[in-house]
Amino acid sequence: MDHQKEIIQHVFQFIQTDASKATEFNELALRLYAYQYQYNLPYRTFCMQKGKTPRMVRTWKDIPPVPINAFKDVTLSCTDPEKAEAIFMTSGTTKGVKGKHYHPTLHIYDQSMKLNFKKRFMKDMEHIRMGILFPTKKEMPNSSLAHYLALAVKEFGTKESHYFVNEHGIDMTRLLGELNHAEETGEPYALLGASYSFVHMLESLERMGKTFSLPKGSRILDTGGFKNQSKELELNEFYHLLSTTLGVDRADCINMYGVTELSTQFYDKGNESVPSIKSGPHWIRTRVINPLTGEEVPKGERGVLVHCDLGNFNSVTTILTEDVGVELENGILLLGRVQGTEAKGCSIAVEEFLKAASKGVSE
Amino acid sequence: MRERAGYLPDIGETEFETKVLTFQSQSEKVEVEIPFLTNEQMNKVIEKVKRASSEILKSFSVSEIAGVIDQAIDQLLDRQSPYRQKAEKLLPVVTGYDEEIIRLGLTSYLKAFRKKELQRFLVEDLGNPLLLDDFQPRVKGGFSKAMGPNIVTHIWSGNVPALPLWSLISGLLVKAGNIGKVPSTEPLFSGWFAHILVEIEPRLADCFAIVWWKGGDEERERCLLERSDVVVGYGGNQSLQSLQNRMPITTRFLPFGHKISFGIVSQSSLDSRKAWQSVHQAALDVIRYDQQGCYSPHIFYVQHGGKVSPREFARFLANELENYQRRYPRRNLSIEESASITAWRQREEMTIFSNPNNEVLGNQANDWTVVYEENDLHFTPSCLNRVIKVIAFETIEEILSCIDLHRSLLQTVGVAASPKELFEWAELLGKTGVTRITALGSMTSPEAGWHHDGRFNLLDLVNMVDIEAAAEASSEQFAPYVD
Repeated sequence: MDHQKEIIQHVFQFIQTDASKATEFNELALRLYAYQYQYNLPYRTFCMQKGKTPRMVRTWKDIPPVPINAFKDVTLSCTDPEKAEAIFMTSGTTKGVKGKHYHPTLHIYDQSMKLNFKKRFMKDMEHIRMGILFPTKKEMPNSSLAHYLALAVKEFGTKESHYFVNEHGIDMTRLLGELNHAEETGEPYALLGASYSFVHMLESLERMGKTFSLPKGSRILDTGGFKNQSKELELNEFYHLLSTTLGVDRADCINMYGVTELSTQFYDKGNESVPSIKSGPHWIRTRVINPLTGEEVPKGERGVLVHCDLGNFNSVTTILTEDVGVELENGILLLGRVQGTEAKGCSIAVEEFLKAASKGVSE
Repeated sequence: MRERAGYLPDIGETEFETKVLTFQSQSEKVEVEIPFLTNEQMNKVIEKVKRASSEILKSFSVSEIAGVIDQAIDQLLDRQSPYRQKAEKLLPVVTGYDEEIIRLGLTSYLKAFRKKELQRFLVEDLGNPLLLDDFQPRVKGGFSKAMGPNIVTHIWSGNVPALPLWSLISGLLVKAGNIGKVPSTEPLFSGWFAHILVEIEPRLADCFAIVWWKGGDEERERCLLERSDVVVGYGGNQSLQSLQNRMPITTRFLPFGHKISFGIVSQSSLDSRKAWQSVHQAALDVIRYDQQGCYSPHIFYVQHGGKVSPREFARFLANELENYQRRYPRRNLSIEESASITAWRQREEMTIFSNPNNEVLGNQANDWTVVYEENDLHFTPSCLNRVIKVIAFETIEEILSCIDLHRSLLQTVGVAASPKELFEWAELLGKTGVTRITALGSMTSPEAGWHHDGRFNLLDLVNMVDIEAAAEASSEQFAPYVD
């Protein structure tokens, strides 16, 4: 247990110190690697299979990345998962199996979120009146996004901040009230939530024929994509509609990229042009790799993203995502998720098989 | 390099809108230009093919048709012929498969359509091939003739080269007018075949058409579906379902959905001398077209109790795949395919923790992956592209209970077993839905006259027309020479 405390402390300090040097990142990443190798047994087995013992791993780039789906199959935790303060779960679409991310304490997660959120979303403001287009933490105790948004409200929202989503969908009356209030008083307003909720909101506003011109300093944060929960909008159309309907500059429409399996988020600098470039704070680093060889692709070429998040002190720092992207000078261009590939011939592809199997006898 | 794909009968027009599909290999680029017909043009094509089928094709004897096909296949088997050279040059770029894989694959595949094989094909389905030419006396009394439809529409899919030949040749043998829709992933081969046929026998010029449209173009599909007697569809169940939903009830639909196949290796084939042979053949089934065919294996079940253990079999197989990677390298994969292979392999590596007896074998570049698994015989599909599981088993019954869930998807089983086991297992596997049992190493080349997914290639296309004995007998009294 002492070991964990010590690790948490190191991570905390590292996050806290601005402008950390490359060597320090590397040092802490290796330290966390050794720690996770020691206490996270499924991960250790995985590393041994790859011949990557702590002795063989010289830099954070050598740390074997865990495929993001593994969170569905095994328990990745250095401490007893039963005692976790929080378990964040993925929404889990295939066969209803959910990935689980265990947090023995939310101390680091919260610290990571707050520092980053302050810098990338709040910027010069301390507090702002917020509206949330997502269920509350109470309604979705295992959603990392619900926790994230609750934290945003608690730390950075004024006490008039509201949740707008109830069991019937978006509470439009209340939302209209808030938007009107902002327009009348000139008090900047922030609207945060799931991208698909914004689409629903836009549809309702369009039906009502309502548009707003929110005061200067107002801002928007959307996250998560459309996930088949709303109609798929072209990114460009989405931000155009958001901006024209609410009167918020596209530069102030921030998109956050985060996944349940990480403890740190990425942000862009607005969406004047899409797709936007995302970047994270100094305690997370990303490599763009050729998935077959695991080698980094040359800058500017397409590859799959691997994140090394020092905020993930308890599970695994390094995760192989299913996101395709390109590394640029000032961040990463996300090009979307790798979809299940169809077989090119007449054999069955995994996804189609799963679909067919789920229709048959239940397993 | 630019190549025109498709084949059209003469409909009195020469101006067609075309689409260009671009294919890129490491060193070469091929642009395939394919006509994209308007609805009006499509209707003319259907009309033309329909008429030519009833007036011309049906006047040929089946033996004459087989003769023309034989000559065409002869050209394609001849490595000096221009079409064959074009195929060997362009298909690797278009499909991405290695040149040698294409060359070997084409030859072994085309051999199944020479005259002697076609004759086998005909006898297999019809007993008496003359049924296609004339009313033939039946044992029960009376006479019958097998009449081919006017229009068979083929919706092909996939990038395994030349695969469309099965249904196209079947259609020709029953004297049907054929309209084939080529897949965007391999739009060339069937068009070439059509051109060769016409060069050999110009009278066939209007008896078929090879066209293209983008899958799901409902408008184009509707006019064709409504006017076809038979539609042969290949593809995923979802797209087949949507085709079926748009088809009049009077159109006969023969869907060939995606299928899965696997191998079973008996302990009797696992002594130190013969095991090597089985491994070698199994590896060939994996590398041919990188498992993209419905007859390609996803899993090899290997029996405990032989001199060579299932685990050793897996390691040998890994070794063999590594060797083949040098000689016949895998097709270049897209980022998406690469990512899915990696995710698949890493996920397997992750599960070693809960199943410490499992093993994941692969090389640094992820050119191939062999996963050895014990205790869990469940059928999970491979992500293909030289990714294969070896699962140890004790008795055939264990396998049966695991595959039974997927009976509607099963097709080929490659078997290495003693004669006694072969027949016993065939009986059991057949009951669970398997329709083809073959030797390891032959999984990807079905033999002439095979029953694709358990069905008849020719019989399913035709209508039998009966002259019943009563009609024959009664006609006698109306003969002018009746006494």
